[in-house]
Amino acid sequence: MKEYFQNIWYGLTTVLIGMRVTFKHLFVPAVTIQYPDVKLKLPERERNRLYVNMDDCIGCDQCARACPVDCIAIETVKSIPGEDLGKTSNGKKKALWVTKFDIDIAKCCFCQLCVFPCPTECIYMTDVFEFSEFERDKLVYNFVTLTQSEIEDKKANYAKLEAEKAAQKAANATSVKPAEKEENKQ
Amino acid sequence: MIIYDFLYKFVFNITQSAAIGDITAMIISGALPLLILVLPFTLVAVWLERKVSAHMQDRLGPMRTGSHGWLQTVADLIKLLQKEDIVASDNDRPLFNLAPILVFAGSYLVFAALPFSSAYIGSNIDLGIIFIIAASGFVVAGILMAGWSSNNKYSLLGAMRSAAQIISYEIPTILVILTIIMITGTTNLRTLSEMQTGHFWNWMIFGGAGLSLSKFLFIPFMLIGFVILYISTLAEVNRTPFDIPEAESELVSGYHTEYSGMKFAMFFLAEYANMFAVSAIVSAIFFGGYQSPIGYLGNTLGLPWMIPIEQFLWFASKGVFFVLVQMWLRWTLPRLRVDQLMALCWKYLIPIAFVNLIIVGLITVL
Amino acid sequence: MSIYDIIFYLFATITLVSAFFVVTIRNIVYSAFFLLFTFFGVAGIYVILGADFVAMVQLIVYVGGILILILFGVMLTNKITNVQIKSGTSQVIPAAIGVGLFAGILTAALINTPWRKIDTSPLLPTTQGLGLMLISEYGVVFELLGILLLIALIGAASLARK
Repeated sequence: MKEYFQNIWYGLTTVLIGMRVTFKHLFVPAVTIQYPDVKLKLPERERNRLYVNMDDCIGCDQCARACPVDCIAIETVKSIPGEDLGKTSNGKKKALWVTKFDIDIAKCCFCQLCVFPCPTECIYMTDVFEFSEFERDKLVYNFVTLTQSEIEDKKANYAKLEAEKAAQKAANATSVKPAEKEENKQ
Repeated sequence: MIIYDFLYKFVFNITQSAAIGDITAMIISGALPLLILVLPFTLVAVWLERKVSAHMQDRLGPMRTGSHGWLQTVADLIKLLQKEDIVASDNDRPLFNLAPILVFAGSYLVFAALPFSSAYIGSNIDLGIIFIIAASGFVVAGILMAGWSSNNKYSLLGAMRSAAQIISYEIPTILVILTIIMITGTTNLRTLSEMQTGHFWNWMIFGGAGLSLSKFLFIPFMLIGFVILYISTLAEVNRTPFDIPEAESELVSGYHTEYSGMKFAMFFLAEYANMFAVSAIVSAIFFGGYQSPIGYLGNTLGLPWMIPIEQFLWFASKGVFFVLVQMWLRWTLPRLRVDQLMALCWKYLIPIAFVNLIIVGLITVL
Repeated sequence: MSIYDIIFYLFATITLVSAFFVVTIRNIVYSAFFLLFTFFGVAGIYVILGADFVAMVQLIVYVGGILILILFGVMLTNKITNVQIKSGTSQVIPAAIGVGLFAGILTAALINTPWRKIDTSPLLPTTQGLGLMLISEYGVVFELLGILLLIALIGAASLARK
């Protein structure tokens, strides 16, 4: 009998204690934030979307080699003598035209391994983390600053140079050792 | 009642026909609580439920649709209206379609006897409280119908549990109501409200009107009665902690699992209408119904037409207050197990209510 | 024809049609649900006759209690919808005699009862009168009925315990 009334008392008081707790929480400021309007401060050294500063890129391909998932694709063309490609911000002289610098961010695993080998610190993580797309192709980012015609130009220039070089070489070869060639022919 | 007379006279003057006047006045005055109270209340209460639950859990709740999300329920309603009305091939089609109507009709029947103000009470019948208890039988039948016709084991289980729960908890409800009937000698909710007129110390929870020894003796037993009535009405509307019939985590919301679109909305509407109805009953029995606790502004200003409006506002705010307490309890207490539910009813509430009834009877004789 | 006549015929139709279906329909669950409407219609007729307390008790006891019990029984029984309800004709002659006798008694009662054709007195609440009668005039019967129900309750509980 004593237990019966104790149960009732215990039941009522614990309900009231619980109600007090929830009532107090009614006035505790909410911990949620209105996400697209308000954003949490990101921690230092956060890893999000990659960005490449093409002004500084020397096309050394080290980032692409460091990438464990092969999401960076780089193609370069050598410059022809006399072309001035400018210098990077830390004083390195650029020697290659970067004709393709694609990062497939859908593949990226945010390991940041590409950032460390970069000699000019031109590839780095930004604080942008909202980049959803409806099509997967749109997640392949092109960083090349050259236009398509410029790329064609550079390729043509280099091919011309190569051809000239080859021609030169051939000419040199013929002028230096014509006899041998003739011997070979025979 | 004043509204009914007004409508009747208005229609009678136009058509000169008593039958048409009667029918029109009945339909309009019968639809008034639905349009003025139930629908707006549901819209607000669903929003409030979300906001209260959110703030109790230190969240914000809906914030996008309208300022602080107040249009969220309207948006949900529009969504429900557009939804496809799915009837699965193995459902019992006639009963499946009839069940939401029956459930809503049953819970709306209760509103016929609620005293909204001295100027409007749907039907001022002498057996108001008894009528309200009787009407809840239709809800049980409708719930069983929904559970059975859904042809789904979860729905059937939920319906069974719901019916068993409602029937069990009707007993303590009736016992508490009997104590009140014994003191006041009336089952008419309007008379009951009129007896608690004046200030808040005339409410039943404070022993009723008048100044006598029995008034002070009643107070503790009225408190016990109020707690029992509140708990058992909470169980009758299937709210947490008594929501095992709808338990989302085990029964996927019980008897309305299979429903979609407007039929689901009708169950929802019935649930919220029920919540308000039981809160209104509790306030009518123990907290003076539509009576103001502090006197009327219309009396001080000398504007008698303001009093019914004030009374309606008091009635609505008392109802909404108890609905808020229901929400508060919902986000405080965990769900009871079936055996705990039955133990609470049969081992605690019913014996206490009985003892309460006998003691109150003795005091009344005193 | 006043509005009360219309309401009376409405309730009478509900009662008769649903009672007809309770008997004839093959699906036992449907039959149970039609019983709901029969009870409802009868309660409505009680109200029109001025027996408000009886109507409410009709709803509480039959709709809220007995019907729910029937539904529980039907739903908890396994494969209830597949059961073929036997409704053939047998024992035609005794049944005809029984029905004929009953119809005769009813007709006799209908003819011989002095009906009050026009009731102009307003319908008054009956609860108080009923209560007083139950406590004074029919006190013993009332108590005996209560004891009977209690015995049934205890018997059911003791049967269920075995």
